[in-house]
Amino acid sequence: MKETVIKKSTKVKAVINHDSLLYKVRRDWQLLLMLLPGLLFYLVFRYGPMYGVSIAFKDYGVFLGVFDSPWVGLKHFANFFSNDDFAKLFKNTLLLGTYSIVWAFPMPVIFAIMLNEVKNLKLKKLIQTSSYLPAFLSVVVVCSMAIDLLSPNNGIVNRILQAFGQEKIYFITQPNWFRTIFIGSDIWQNMGFSAIIYIAALSGIDPGLYEAAKIDGCGRMKSIINITIPCLMPTIITMLILKSGQVFRIGYEKVLLLYTPLTYEVADVFGTFVYRRGIIQAEYSFAAAVGLFESLVALTMVIVTNHLSKKASSYSLW
Amino acid sequence: MKKIELFDYINGLFLLIVMFVTFYPLIYVFSVSFSASEYIIQNKITFFPMGFNFEAYRMIFESARIPQAYFNSFLYTALGTFVNLTMTAITAYPLSRNKLIGKKYYMWIILLTMFFNGGLIPNYLLVKSLGMINSIWSLVIPNAIWTFELIILKGFFESLPEELHESAVIDGAKEFTIFSRIYMPLSKASLASIALFYAMGHWNSYLIPSIYLMDLEKMPLQVLLKEMLILDTAKQSSDMAEYANLTPEALKNATILISILPMLLLYPYLQKYFVGGIMIGAVKG
Repeated sequence: MKETVIKKSTKVKAVINHDSLLYKVRRDWQLLLMLLPGLLFYLVFRYGPMYGVSIAFKDYGVFLGVFDSPWVGLKHFANFFSNDDFAKLFKNTLLLGTYSIVWAFPMPVIFAIMLNEVKNLKLKKLIQTSSYLPAFLSVVVVCSMAIDLLSPNNGIVNRILQAFGQEKIYFITQPNWFRTIFIGSDIWQNMGFSAIIYIAALSGIDPGLYEAAKIDGCGRMKSIINITIPCLMPTIITMLILKSGQVFRIGYEKVLLLYTPLTYEVADVFGTFVYRRGIIQAEYSFAAAVGLFESLVALTMVIVTNHLSKKASSYSLW
Repeated sequence: MKKIELFDYINGLFLLIVMFVTFYPLIYVFSVSFSASEYIIQNKITFFPMGFNFEAYRMIFESARIPQAYFNSFLYTALGTFVNLTMTAITAYPLSRNKLIGKKYYMWIILLTMFFNGGLIPNYLLVKSLGMINSIWSLVIPNAIWTFELIILKGFFESLPEELHESAVIDGAKEFTIFSRIYMPLSKASLASIALFYAMGHWNSYLIPSIYLMDLEKMPLQVLLKEMLILDTAKQSSDMAEYANLTPEALKNATILISILPMLLLYPYLQKYFVGGIMIGAVKG
C-alpha cells in the first residue's frame, strides 16, 4: 500500500491512502463529470430500448406503457413462427446477405489489385479519388438514380437493350431482378470505399518482392497470383469474417426504397417487415418480437463466425 | 524507361470503364436537370444536356417546400454534428485516461451495445415516451454518440504521448484544462474526419426523420427527395402539368443535384479526411 505523508505547516500530519475509493473519486472528479453525459446517453438510449424490448413478451398498450402492459409470454413469437411470412423473411434475409457477400465482397479486392498495377501515379490517384465519390451519396439518391436508369420508359439501360433489338425489361417490378439491382447498386456505391483498406495493405508490400520475381522471369499475372494475393490474404480474411458476421444485418432502408408490393416475395426482409408492421400498422409488440428474433439471430451469427475464425485463422474480434 | 505491356492497356481500359460507370449516373442527373423538356420527353438525353433550360432550378427556388427542406437539412446537420462531436469528445477523453476509476466497467457498458440493441420499435417507443416526436431533438439526441467513432477518438487520444499529460499536470493544469487546451487542439484532424462521418450521416438520413418527424415543413431534403422520386412520380407529373417547360424528370434530377452539391463542392477536402478516418479506424478499431 502506497502512503504519502504530507506535512502541513510542521505540526499536522495527514495520511492519504492512495488506494481508497474516496481518494480516487476526488482525484478523478473532473473526468467523471465529463463522462457523465455520455454514460447517461448509453443508459437511456442504448439500454433503455433493451428494457423496452420486453414488450415483445407483452401486449403493449399505448396508455399503459412498457411497464404496465400485461405479460403474454411467447404469444407474438408463436404467431410469427406459424405465420407464412416467417420462412419467406428468413430466406430473403439470408439470401440477400449471402449473395451480397458472394458478389459484392470480391469487387473491392479485385479493384484494389487492378489499381495497384497502374504505373502512372497521377492516373492511379485520379481513379482512386473518384472511386469513393458514390459513397458520399445518400441511399435515396442512389436508389432513385438506379430506378431512373433502369426505367422501362426512358432508362438508358432499356434504351440500349432496345437498340440491340431486345425486349424492354421492367427491372423494378420484376422479382427476379430485385437482388441483382440491390447488390449491383451496392457495388456501385461502395466498391471504391471498401477498396481503401486493401489499397493501404497493398502499399505495404515490399517492392523488392516484385523486383525479385521479375528477375526470376515472373510475368505480371504470376506476380499478382504469387505475391499480391498472398500478401493481401490476412486483410481479406479479416474483412470476410467481419462481413460474414453481418450477413443478417441487411441495409433495409435501401430495401424500403427499392421494393414494390410486386417484389415483396423476394425483397421483404426482417427489417422492412418490422417497419411495416410496427411503425406503419402500430402492432408494436408483434413487431418488437420480430425485431428481437432478428437481433438474436444476427448476434448468434457474429458469435459463430468469430468462433470459427478463431479456430481457423486465430483471428478474433474479441 | 518503363515498357508498357498489353497487360497495362487491358488493365487501364478496364479501370477507365469502371470510372465511367461510376460517373455516368451523375452526368445523367446533371444533363437531364439542364435539358429542355422536348428532348427529355423524346428520350434524347444520353450524355450531354440538350437545349439549355434552367426552368427546373427556377421552380426549385420558387417552390415553398424545397428551400425549406434544404434549410432544415443544413440545420439538422449542423446541430446534430455539433452535439455528436461534443458528446463523443467529452466521453472519449475520460475513457482514454488509463487510471480512471472504473474504466473497465464503463468500457463494457459501451462495447456491449455494439453487439445487441433493442431494435427499431423499442427505440421508437422510447423517443415517443420522451415526448421528442416531431422535434428536432429526436434526430439529435437518440444517436448522440456512435460507438465506433467514440472508439476511434479514444484510440487517438491514447496515442498522444503520456508526457504531454504529465507535464501539464506538473504545471498545475486540471483535467478540464488539459482536455480543452491541449488534447482538443492536437486532435483537429481526427475530429474533422469524425465530424465528416457524423455530418454525412445527418445529411443523408431519411428513415429516421420520416419516422420521427410529423410536419411537412420540418422534413429534411432527403425525405422530400424520397417522396418526389420514389413514391409517386405519376402524381408529381400531374401537379406540374401547368409548367409546360418543365418535366418531372428535370425537377427530380435538379433536386438530386442540389442535394449532393455541398458534397461535390467540398469533395477535394472531404475525401482527404474520409480516407484519414477509415485508416484511423482500421488501425485502432
